[in-house]
Amino acid sequence: MAGATENTHLLEMSNITKQFPRVLANDNISIYLKKGEILSLLGENGAGKSTLMNILYGLYKPTAGQIFLKGEEITINSPKDAIRYGLGMVHQHFMLVENLTITENIVLGNEPGRMGILDYKAARKKVKEISEKYHFSIDPDTKIESIPVGLQQKVEILKALYREAEILILDEPTSVLTPQEVEELFMVIRELRKKGVSLIIITHKLDEVKAISERVYILRKGKVEGERITSKVTKEELANMMVGRSVVLTVEKEKKKILHSPIFSIKELYVKSEKGVDAIEGLSLDVRPGEIVGLAGVDGNGQSELAEAIMGLRKIESGQIFFKGKDVTHLDTKGKIRSSFSFVPADRQKLGLVLPMKLSENLIIGLHDTEPFSNGLKLNLKYIDEYSSRLVKDFDIRTPSVSVPVSNLSGGNQQKVILARELSRKPKFMLVSQPTRGLDVGAIEYIHAEILRMRDAEVAILLISLELEEIFALSDRILVLFEGKIVKEFIPEDTDEKEVGFYMTGGSKDDRYGQNG
Amino acid sequence: MGKMVKPLFITLIILLLSCGTVLWLASNFYGILMVIGSIGLFFIYKGIAANREKVKEDLKRFTLTLSIPLIGVIIAVIIGAIIMIITGYDPIEAYAALFYGGFVRNWHVSVLNAAPLIFTGLSVAFAFKAGLFNIGAEGQYYVGAMVAAFFGITIYLPPVISLPLILLLSGIISSLYNFIPALLKVKTGAHEVITTMMFAHIARYSSSIFIRYMGGDPNTSRHPYVTYPILESNWLPRFQQFLPHANYRLHTGILIGIFFALFVYYLLYYTRIGFEIRAVGLNPNAARTQGISISRNLFIALLFAGFLAGLAGFNQVNGLDHKLFENLSAGYGWDGISVALLASSHPIGVIFTALLWGALDAGGQFMQRTAQTPNSIVEIIKGIILFLVIARYIYAYIGNRIRKRRGFVKAST
Repeated sequence: MAGATENTHLLEMSNITKQFPRVLANDNISIYLKKGEILSLLGENGAGKSTLMNILYGLYKPTAGQIFLKGEEITINSPKDAIRYGLGMVHQHFMLVENLTITENIVLGNEPGRMGILDYKAARKKVKEISEKYHFSIDPDTKIESIPVGLQQKVEILKALYREAEILILDEPTSVLTPQEVEELFMVIRELRKKGVSLIIITHKLDEVKAISERVYILRKGKVEGERITSKVTKEELANMMVGRSVVLTVEKEKKKILHSPIFSIKELYVKSEKGVDAIEGLSLDVRPGEIVGLAGVDGNGQSELAEAIMGLRKIESGQIFFKGKDVTHLDTKGKIRSSFSFVPADRQKLGLVLPMKLSENLIIGLHDTEPFSNGLKLNLKYIDEYSSRLVKDFDIRTPSVSVPVSNLSGGNQQKVILARELSRKPKFMLVSQPTRGLDVGAIEYIHAEILRMRDAEVAILLISLELEEIFALSDRILVLFEGKIVKEFIPEDTDEKEVGFYMTGGSKDDRYGQNG
Repeated sequence: MGKMVKPLFITLIILLLSCGTVLWLASNFYGILMVIGSIGLFFIYKGIAANREKVKEDLKRFTLTLSIPLIGVIIAVIIGAIIMIITGYDPIEAYAALFYGGFVRNWHVSVLNAAPLIFTGLSVAFAFKAGLFNIGAEGQYYVGAMVAAFFGITIYLPPVISLPLILLLSGIISSLYNFIPALLKVKTGAHEVITTMMFAHIARYSSSIFIRYMGGDPNTSRHPYVTYPILESNWLPRFQQFLPHANYRLHTGILIGIFFALFVYYLLYYTRIGFEIRAVGLNPNAARTQGISISRNLFIALLFAGFLAGLAGFNQVNGLDHKLFENLSAGYGWDGISVALLASSHPIGVIFTALLWGALDAGGQFMQRTAQTPNSIVEIIKGIILFLVIARYIYAYIGNRIRKRRGFVKAST
């Protein structure tokens, strides 16, 4: 491996500061990257990891600080510059054109050919070459829309490699992957390093830091909290540095005897998706009071359709839903809320909250037309304010007042608003979907504790989550959802993430793309 | 504070405010002093009663909301001046005439102009709150005017009965005029911009037929055609009846407008109907998830918007003209959109933006007569104001984009 001289680093960011109008995102951060190294940037949400990498990739301009490449100072004004300097970045949200082929996506913006006419053959050859060089097995003519997320990510990586990236930045690369896909990604990453590519991985997952990287920077509140060699640091130490206090990594969950018969059950449910195809195909499940049933599954296997059908937001084609022995299949949303259903939707900003409305209004929406929140047509504003202040206190929602728009709150506090609203309704059945997506450790811990508290208060809870860790931490029973059906049931004590992950991807039916193993 | 003092204080403020408003609108400028005085008293009262911080916060929010349209107006005035200099008019003379004409000399014309704009402005603003664009307020205005003219000519009852009756009839029938657009919106998703716009054309040109049928005689050369005059018992009371110095044309329609502005404000922010409408307007998906019926609220919003726009017609026919002219270029519905936008759909704000619009029109005409500056300069200024105020949505959009990007960064860090 021909590389830089011993004492110069491949890349160095020195004293980087980034001031946003109201937030100091990066505060005098200095980091370096050695050649052929896998480096992690670890930190909670808002610690400044992505900002730092976006500066490196030319998406933001730093307020102060310098960037050195192979010992020379460079300025990066745009991603174009970054690509020229051999930098590549795979964003958390992929930037692929769904109805183009893999080849077309990879060469897009840098197409071989003459006078604006794409030489598809040459492009295809080049893509094939690169993918063979790095041992990626892909079919260059498949369209993006028909390949799974894990493969899309590989396409993104290939895109960077096609542009001859020597330094690859991966932003939260595992957030959308199944455990198997994560394993594959790690293999790809190791392969890349062997070929001389240096990598920076942005993450907030401690396991990944330990599993893949050699060195880690811990960022907190825009500052570098520390730098460690990963083989010489414990997860607990990392966690402490990351949040600045000791956190319990797994929630303490008391084993509980569940004796009751189901209070909520679904029988042979069929629901169609927007596209008119069956999203839920003959799904049946039961939830008993005081039980958390975890529905594990990869995104897009019918989770949102199921949730909407349960809440009366989507038409049920056939099948039945029973609650307290009554058929509630065709009860509307309002009726379901009235009969003590609670719903924490996965997309809190789109479905959970009316962002421009006041915090207090968001706390009472849904029951706004019942006593004591309104008398007849008139809203009882005084009571609403008192009530909201009480919830803000009980749920420790950080806000200047109850009359600020809920959009002013941070993600964690927004989720607390939803939780406060839903839990305060004294539900008998709760449908909780992705309750901690995108939240930091402190908020996750809090929300998990609240959900368990509801379980202990004999609420029947159906938990839909894409995070296996969450499913394992909370569930009393795990159901695996695959292509609209429950394919397997587990007791968490008798299984592990690997086994559940195996069924999440279709079990033995897997291996469509010949890249497992 | 003593138990008796509090209600007394409030009564004093309300009395001062309402008397001031009436006097001000009836061209008595001591009125505006009373209005300002009552607002000052209100804040003093709030300062004593509640905590200071909250009052400060309210004041800050108040000035902040006012600043954007105000800045818009100032910039527009400056740009207007530049245009006048380039085209060879004296901006100082012109603006002096504009101001003098609009706010002093012909203030009564401004008020007369503002009255229908309050109704159409409220109509558009109310629909906006539900996320709807009632672009066809013009059509509902014509329906309201036709109904008002028809019953104004035919109903002979004591005014105490007939006036509220005609008001309600013209409002209700105009709201029913929005029934089909509302139904199409809810059932098929047909966009209300298209449907109400088409319905506006139907109503405008139907009014020509109506006018001919109700007395407009095509055989005479008199233009524009008019209906028979309505009965004098169906005239809205005029300010002159209790304030002898007021202009004889000035009628009390504007007070009804202000009443409805307050009513709409109350409806939106103090009742569950308004709560649902705002929730549906701001995030229909979240509203639906909480069991709020989107279609029902869209229906209510469009029908009530029609009701409000129809009252503008009632106001013109029973208050000002006492007959229906075939005046197809009045454009109160279209101007209502501007008025609502400028007030960022705030019902109380609509009162003031309507008055501003009315004053610009009245002042513009005065300016044209006295300073020989073409009236079109006023239209240019209006356009610039509106552009700058809508540009605020562009700023907000850009701000959101940045925030979103930052949020995206935050979420992925």
